[in-house]
Amino acid sequence: MSGRARLVVFVLGAAGLAVAFVFALGGMPPFGGSEHPYRDLAVAAALRHVTPNVVSSVNFDQRALDTLGEETILLGSVIGAAALLRLVGHEKERPERAGGRLPDAIGLGCYLLLPVTLLIGLDVVAHGHLTPGGGFQGGVVLATGLHLLYLAGRYRSLERLRPLAWYEFGEGASATAFVGVGLAGLAAGGSFLANVLPLGSFRELLSAGTVPVLNIVVGCAVATGAVVLLAQFLEQAIRITGGAGPGSSG
Amino acid sequence: MPWVPDTAAAPLAVAVPIVAACLALVGARWAPRPLIDLLATGAAAVTAWLTGALTLAAFGGRVVTWTGGWSPRDGRSVGIVLAADPVNAGLACLASALTCCALLYSWRYVDSAAGHYHALVLLFLAGMNGFALTGDLFDMFVFFELMGATAFALTGLRVEEPNSLQGGLNFAVINSLAAYLSLIGLGLLYARTGQLGLAQIGAALGGRPADALVVVAFVLAIVGFVTKAAMAPMHFWLADAHAVAPAPVCVLMSGVMVELGVYALARVYVTVFSAAVPAAAVREAFIAFGVLTAAVGCVMCVTQRHLKRLFAYSTIAHIGLFLIGFALLTPDGFTGVAVYVAGHAGIKGALFLLAGLLLDRFQTVDEGELFGRGGRGAPCWLFLLAALALAGLPPLGPGLGKALSEDAAGAAGLPWLAAVFVLVSAVTGGAVLRAGLRVFLGLGHRLGPVERDTQTAGEERPETETALTRTPPTMLAAVVLLVLGGVAAGVAVGLVPALAAAAGRAGQTFADRAGYLGQVLYGGPPRPAPPPVAARWTGSGVLSGVVSTVLAGAVAALSLWLPRGARVRARRLRPAVDGLHRLHSGHVGDYVAWLLAGAAGLALALLALPAAAPG
Amino acid sequence: MSDALAVVALTLVGVAGTAVAWTFDPARQAVLSSVFGVLLAVLFTVLQAPDVALSQIGVGAALVPLMVVLTVRRIRRGPR
Repeated sequence: MSGRARLVVFVLGAAGLAVAFVFALGGMPPFGGSEHPYRDLAVAAALRHVTPNVVSSVNFDQRALDTLGEETILLGSVIGAAALLRLVGHEKERPERAGGRLPDAIGLGCYLLLPVTLLIGLDVVAHGHLTPGGGFQGGVVLATGLHLLYLAGRYRSLERLRPLAWYEFGEGASATAFVGVGLAGLAAGGSFLANVLPLGSFRELLSAGTVPVLNIVVGCAVATGAVVLLAQFLEQAIRITGGAGPGSSG
Repeated sequence: MPWVPDTAAAPLAVAVPIVAACLALVGARWAPRPLIDLLATGAAAVTAWLTGALTLAAFGGRVVTWTGGWSPRDGRSVGIVLAADPVNAGLACLASALTCCALLYSWRYVDSAAGHYHALVLLFLAGMNGFALTGDLFDMFVFFELMGATAFALTGLRVEEPNSLQGGLNFAVINSLAAYLSLIGLGLLYARTGQLGLAQIGAALGGRPADALVVVAFVLAIVGFVTKAAMAPMHFWLADAHAVAPAPVCVLMSGVMVELGVYALARVYVTVFSAAVPAAAVREAFIAFGVLTAAVGCVMCVTQRHLKRLFAYSTIAHIGLFLIGFALLTPDGFTGVAVYVAGHAGIKGALFLLAGLLLDRFQTVDEGELFGRGGRGAPCWLFLLAALALAGLPPLGPGLGKALSEDAAGAAGLPWLAAVFVLVSAVTGGAVLRAGLRVFLGLGHRLGPVERDTQTAGEERPETETALTRTPPTMLAAVVLLVLGGVAAGVAVGLVPALAAAAGRAGQTFADRAGYLGQVLYGGPPRPAPPPVAARWTGSGVLSGVVSTVLAGAVAALSLWLPRGARVRARRLRPAVDGLHRLHSGHVGDYVAWLLAGAAGLALALLALPAAAPG
Repeated sequence: MSDALAVVALTLVGVAGTAVAWTFDPARQAVLSSVFGVLLAVLFTVLQAPDVALSQIGVGAALVPLMVVLTVRRIRRGPR
């Protein structure tokens, strides 16, 4: 199609959808209303399972199958990215050049922030069932925290902290562990992903049954997955040259 | 079921492929390749066995499992339900069986991405199984995204070719955009009902007539599904993706993934919306879109010479038929589509694998370049048999599905639809027959050299490490298994009374909304139902199958042996056909525009139709 | 009061989103989308969804822009 024809079709479609959507908004409940059938059920269910962070209870207990699916999406995306960005044809790793020198203040800042960030990440993962946060959030903090080393201009020390084979192994192991918790529920509680561990008492670190376990599993999965994912992009951007590779027009 | 309780089969159908994928991923670093092949194929076979047993159990009544043990109290629950009836358990079984065949075929598929390939295929299977078996709208969306993420990567797997990435990218952009629209629809529904389960939302929407919010939410929610199903005008991604994807991946995409889109549309409408959005409007709208899809698919199919694109457009044409079968909204219609999908999956899967074999031997899938080179071995006769099956030859699988759908259309008061079924079968079957006769037997006139446009360049590298000189037995075994499956769907179901009755019961159970809600939300027993219409061969069905097969022969003969003078005169039709071809430009911006236009058209049609259509 | 805050946050998100869409240089777009991600996290916090806000900061403000920047860099270097 010509650019003009494309624009006409697009504008007609978008306008039609917009009109329909405006019609639909007329039927929406008012903002900030107090009627929430699912919330009422979910809060009660979370309290029954001794999980003060209701969001975590929904994610890792009440609707844990969704979370398994989402973790598997991450696994699939990481494997897919690794497959699509693999070295082919004439692509070669080029010898590393010494990067430009950074101001010392930035480097020092990154080094100081690194342990703090990693600690925050671990804290967010470990207390997911008690306070906002959890495996997803903490995992991302851990993975991005590690890349402060790249910001500090030390790609080589990042690589030392990042034996990719082990991270890939961790990714597979944590997905398996998630399924394993589910199967344990099936064996002990009669249904897949049943919360079969002792529930403990409120505000204890060891409470809420399988919720903190799954938080840790997902934290591992997200941290390792994000590291492997970023590693593919970093390799492509920094180390790979030549070839009719991805991103080039061949 | 021995060894495994029925209620455990559904979650295991998701869990087993995920664990196997992780093992394949990690194991590929040290284990020899054959071990990984064996592991992956074995896992798919185990999953097929689990889902097969689940299907058998579901014939006796839905198998309902609440994950996490969150069984409902007073019809309310916070959990996610897996609800297997014969149709969706059967689809999960189909997905597992096709994956098994695809992985068997891949034993000789050598690639630098070996472990990654196996892991992706198994995760794709986990996504399809979860998508089929879940009874929760948001969970459907999650597994929809899992199917997407893995399928995009599998499509673009042959990264050494730029076109491969382009096809994967088009697929990813269009499907992701459609998924966002679906998510907005889910948001609207949640705002209205505060529920996420199909049964819960359905109960909350109740018998009140739908207002604009519900209609728009319906349309947005299904945009993702019908885009995955390649309903025109959201179908453009399909041929681009199939042209570049490895042959075994095409088997999964054409055989079951796009059909799952139709399934999701039917499931969501029947369970959630059928008491609110008027059936007459939905019927008219989807028959119209179905006919449009079938027409576009037919014209594009018969005017292709790139074999994989030809098969891809034939899939689009058949999706049009499946949409029409759904739109009848009767139990017989659902039965017909279910049988049709099963037969079509085996036959179309076999055709894609045969195209893959040709690609591996001759480095091309162009009908003209392959002229007479295929030889008269087993692939030749399998190809021609598949072509006849696709044309609707009794007593094979697609023919039975077609005959049942035609009968259902007649019973619904729309007998003219039978003509659409016959025409589509004749044209797509004829196109495949023509290609087979030309490629394997060297019949008809030679084609000119291929016009190298952007669409087809660079898709012709073998998928094996070196070009094959003969067909490896594992590859041929996969093809034979698929053809046998496609044939059996028609012979066994159509001629064995017990199986015919069971197939009829599948459609009946699928259509039974009240039974679904009762069993899922209140744990009620399966409701007794009147004896269903058996899915067996009838006189009219056999006749229509013979007619469409003869017509397919005529289509093939015409395109092979049309006299030169007539061929020149036929070129006057070219501008219209070329126009349609130009719409399939490979430009993702075009596809986005058409996606929005299609979604808007569907929304406005359903908003306007209830006023116009009585009942 | 919280409604007013929500309106302000929503407006900022709208402005930032439009700015991202109107930027045609991918590298600039990545940086702007990071800002957009932070504003979105603010909106989620105002709407009392701190869990979502945390993930949004990690993914929307850091991970995705970084991936875009790396991709742009690889493409600009091109085949050699």
